[in-house]
Amino acid sequence: MDSFIATGLIGISLGSQYTLLALGFTLIFGILGVVNFAHGGFYVMGGYVAYYCNVILGLPYPVAVMLAMLSMAALGWLFESLILERVIEDHQATLMVTMGFYLVMATAILMIFGAESPQFPFPVTGVWRLGGIYFPYANMIVLGACLAAIVFVYWLVYRTNIGRGMRAMSEDLPVASALGMRTKALFPFAFALATGLAGGTGALVTPILALAPHVGDSVLAFSFLTVILGGLGSVTGATCAAFIVGLIEAYAAVYLGGSKGALTLFALVLIILVVRPQGLLGREVRRS
Amino acid sequence: MSSHDLKPLPAETRSSLLSGHDWIALVFVAMTFLIPVFSTNPQVLSQTNLILIAATAALGVYIMQRLDLMSFAVPSFMAIGGYTVALISMKLHVTDVLILAAAAFLMPALCAIPLGSLILRLKGVYFVLVTFVLTEIVQLLLFEAGPITGGANGLVGMPAVKLFGFELWDNPHVLLTTCGLAVLSFAITSLFTRTFRHEFAAIETNDVLAESLGLAAWKYKAMAFSIAAGVSGLAGFALVNMLMTAHPSSFAPMSSVNYITYTIVGGKASILGTLIGALLLVSATDYFALSGEMSPGLFGLLIIIVTLVARGGVVGVVSGLLYRLVGKTTPLNTGETGHAAQEHANQKEGRP
Amino acid sequence: MTRQALSTSALHADRIAKSFGGLKVFNDVSFTVPAGGLLGVIGPNGAGKTTMINIFTGRLSLTSGQVMLGETRIDGRSTFENALMGLVRSFQQTAIFNGHSVETNLISALRFSKRDRSVLERLAPLLDQFGLIENWHRNADVMPYGLQKMLGLAMALATQPKMLLLDEPAAGLEKSERVNIDAYVKFAQEEFGCGVLLVEHDMEIIKRLCPSVIVLDGGRLIAEGPPTEVLSRPHVINAYLGGSDEEDSDVTH
Repeated sequence: MDSFIATGLIGISLGSQYTLLALGFTLIFGILGVVNFAHGGFYVMGGYVAYYCNVILGLPYPVAVMLAMLSMAALGWLFESLILERVIEDHQATLMVTMGFYLVMATAILMIFGAESPQFPFPVTGVWRLGGIYFPYANMIVLGACLAAIVFVYWLVYRTNIGRGMRAMSEDLPVASALGMRTKALFPFAFALATGLAGGTGALVTPILALAPHVGDSVLAFSFLTVILGGLGSVTGATCAAFIVGLIEAYAAVYLGGSKGALTLFALVLIILVVRPQGLLGREVRRS
Repeated sequence: MSSHDLKPLPAETRSSLLSGHDWIALVFVAMTFLIPVFSTNPQVLSQTNLILIAATAALGVYIMQRLDLMSFAVPSFMAIGGYTVALISMKLHVTDVLILAAAAFLMPALCAIPLGSLILRLKGVYFVLVTFVLTEIVQLLLFEAGPITGGANGLVGMPAVKLFGFELWDNPHVLLTTCGLAVLSFAITSLFTRTFRHEFAAIETNDVLAESLGLAAWKYKAMAFSIAAGVSGLAGFALVNMLMTAHPSSFAPMSSVNYITYTIVGGKASILGTLIGALLLVSATDYFALSGEMSPGLFGLLIIIVTLVARGGVVGVVSGLLYRLVGKTTPLNTGETGHAAQEHANQKEGRP
Repeated sequence: MTRQALSTSALHADRIAKSFGGLKVFNDVSFTVPAGGLLGVIGPNGAGKTTMINIFTGRLSLTSGQVMLGETRIDGRSTFENALMGLVRSFQQTAIFNGHSVETNLISALRFSKRDRSVLERLAPLLDQFGLIENWHRNADVMPYGLQKMLGLAMALATQPKMLLLDEPAAGLEKSERVNIDAYVKFAQEEFGCGVLLVEHDMEIIKRLCPSVIVLDGGRLIAEGPPTEVLSRPHVINAYLGGSDEEDSDVTH
C-alpha cells in the first residue's frame, strides 16, 4: 500500500511535468494552428542552459531555471517572428520549419556539449518519509514549481485579456480577427510563453530524469501522446491527459517493468482514437 | 439558347499515364542494374545500395504527400516488411526473392488498412501525430516481442536470397536485389499515383468539394496509406537483405525525418524529387563524413531553407531554370495539367 | 419522367432541428422540394440557410427530425454517398480545384460521380454560354471570379444530380453575369430534370425563377408561398429589416 501511494506521488509529479509541456504544445496548436515539432528541443536546450548557468557558471539553481525559461522564451519569440511567421498560413510548411529547427537545435547542443550526459545533479537531496511512504525532496520541489506554473497558465488563459484573446483565437480565428483582436501580435507572445514553459520544465526536470542531447525525442513523443489523449487544442484535456499519462507510466514502471508502461499508453491512445477520436475533452472533430 | 453559333466541345485531352518525371526516375533507377557490371568497388556498391534503399523508403513519404499528408510511419512499415522477410527466410527457410518481396509488400500493406481506417478519419494534424507515435510503438514492440523479433539482438544470420534457385549472395548480387526492389517500388508508386491523379489532386486541393461531387475520399486515403506501407516494406526488405540482419536500430523512429527530408528537399511535387533528394543527401552525408552526428543539423537547415525560399525543392528549382532557358516549351512535369500549372506560375510571378 | 422516377427524387425535410451546444440554429422546419421542382429559400443572413444545406449533404448531423430524398432517409449519411444518390450542392464562395484546367475540373466531376463524357456533350451549350469553352485549357483559378463560380456550378451539374442545392449562386457576380444563373437553373430543370433548392439573396432572381419560396428567420420557417406575395407580408419585411447584416459564411475548402 505504501509503495502504491509513493508510486502515485511519482506519477503525479511526472504528470505535472507533462502538463507543462502539453500546455505549451496545445497553446501553440490552439492559437497558431501549428504542431510544434521543436517543442522537445526547447525542453532539452532549457535543461542545458540551466546546467551551464548552474554547474559551469556557478549561479544559484533558481536563477539558472529562470534564465533557462527566459532564454527559451526569447528564442521562441525570435523563431516565431523570423521564420515561422513567414509560413504560418501553410500547415505543412509550419511542420517542416519546426521540425528543421528541432534538428538544428539538437545538433547545436551536440556540437557544444558533446554526446555525453553531463553531471547535473538537483541541488536539494534527501527523502521525505511518512511511515513507509518515500518521496524525494527534489521531486517535491519540482512538483510544487510545476503546479505553480500550471496555476499561472490557467490564470493567464482564463482570467486575463490576453488569455481571453488567445482562447477566442483558438476557437475561431476568423471571428476573433473580425472582432478586432490583434491576432498576429499574440502569435509570438503565445509561442514564447509555450517555449519558455518548455525551457523551464527542462531546467527543472532534467536534473532528476536525464540530460542528454537526444532526450527531446521522447519528450516530443510524450507530448504527442498527451495531446492526442486530451484532444488537440484543449487546455483542460491536456492537463487531465498529462496526469493520466504520468500515473500510468509510474505504475507500469513499478508493476509491469521495462517499456511496458509506454506500450500500455500507446494501447490506450489507440483505444481512444477508436472510441473518441477528438480526444478525452476535445471538441467535435471537424474536417480540416 | 443564345443566338451565336455553338462552340463545339474541345476534343478530349489525352495524357500519357506516366509523366516525364516518372519515366526519368524509372530509367534512372533501372540503370543502377549496370553498376555492378562497371564497378566492383565495394564503396561504390554499398553507396549505391544505401541511396536506393533511402529513395525507396522515401517513396512512402512521397505517396502520402499526394494527399497533402505528412507521414512519419515509414520506419514502422519498413520494420514490418524487414522482419517479415527475416522470419520467413530464417524460420520457414523460404528464400525465393519473389516470394519474399511479395511478403514484404503485402504484410505492411495489410497492417496499414485497419490502422489507416482508424486514423485517416481524423484531421491531417492528427495523422501526423499518430504516425509519429506509431514509429515509437513499433520500435518498442521490436524490443519487447523478444521471442519473435529477437529483442535487442534482432534476427541475425539471414540466409542469402535466391532467384530461380540461383543464390544472390555476394556484394554485387545484393545490390542487384536492391535494384530490383527499387525498380519495383518506383514502378508501383508511379503507376499508382498517376492512375488516381485526379482523385489525389482533388483531395489535396479541396477535399470538401471532392466529396460533395461523390468522391469517397477516405477510400483513396486508405488505399494510399496501404500502398505507401507496402513500398516501405520493400525498402525494409532491401535493408535487412543488405545487412543480413533485422535489428531495431535499422528502423529508429527519428530516421523517418531523413525520409521526409529526401522527399521535401528533392522536391515533393514529383517522384524524381524523391530520387534526387535521396541521391544528393545520402551522398552529401557520406562526402562530408558527417557521421550521423552532424547530418541531422544539415538536414534541418536544408528543410528550413527549402520551405522558406524554394518550395519546389531541387527538382522544382532546376526545372524552373530549365523552363526559363528553353523558353516556351512545356516543362518536363507535364501531365495534362502541365499547361495550366505553368500558366498559374506565370500569373503568380506577373508574367503573361 | 415517370411517376416512379419522380417519387424517388423529391427532397423532403420533416421537422428538422439543429443546435450547436445550446444554440438553436433552426428549429422545427418542414418543407418539400418536388422532384424536378424549384423552391426558393430566402431569409436574412444568419437564418441558418447554409447550415441547412450542410445538413442535407451530410456534412452536419441533425439534432432531430429527418430528411428524405425520395424514399431514402439521407440525413447523417456521408456527403459522397448522398452525392452519388443524386443530391449535390454548390458552394457560396468559388469551389473549384485550384491549379487545374477547366477541362480537368469538369473531368474530375464526371469521374467522382461515375458519369461519362456524354454528360459534357449535353452540357456543352451551357458551358459555351458561360464562356468556359474558350477557357477550356486555362488554369481555373486564374480566371475571373464570375467564370470560376460558373465552373463550380457546371461541375455540380456535370454529376447529373436529381436534386441540386444551390447556395447563393449569384453572390459576388456582376449584375450582367446574373442572367447566367437563370440560364443555369432553367437548363438544370429542363435538360436534366433536376429538382432545385435555391438559396439566394437576390430577390430579382428569386422572383424571376421561383414559383414558390420559403422564408427562414432565426431558424424558423416564417412564411411560405409565391415570392411577390410572401415578400409583401409585414412580418417578412420586419424580419429583413431587423435582421443583422453579418456574413454567414461557409467553409469551401
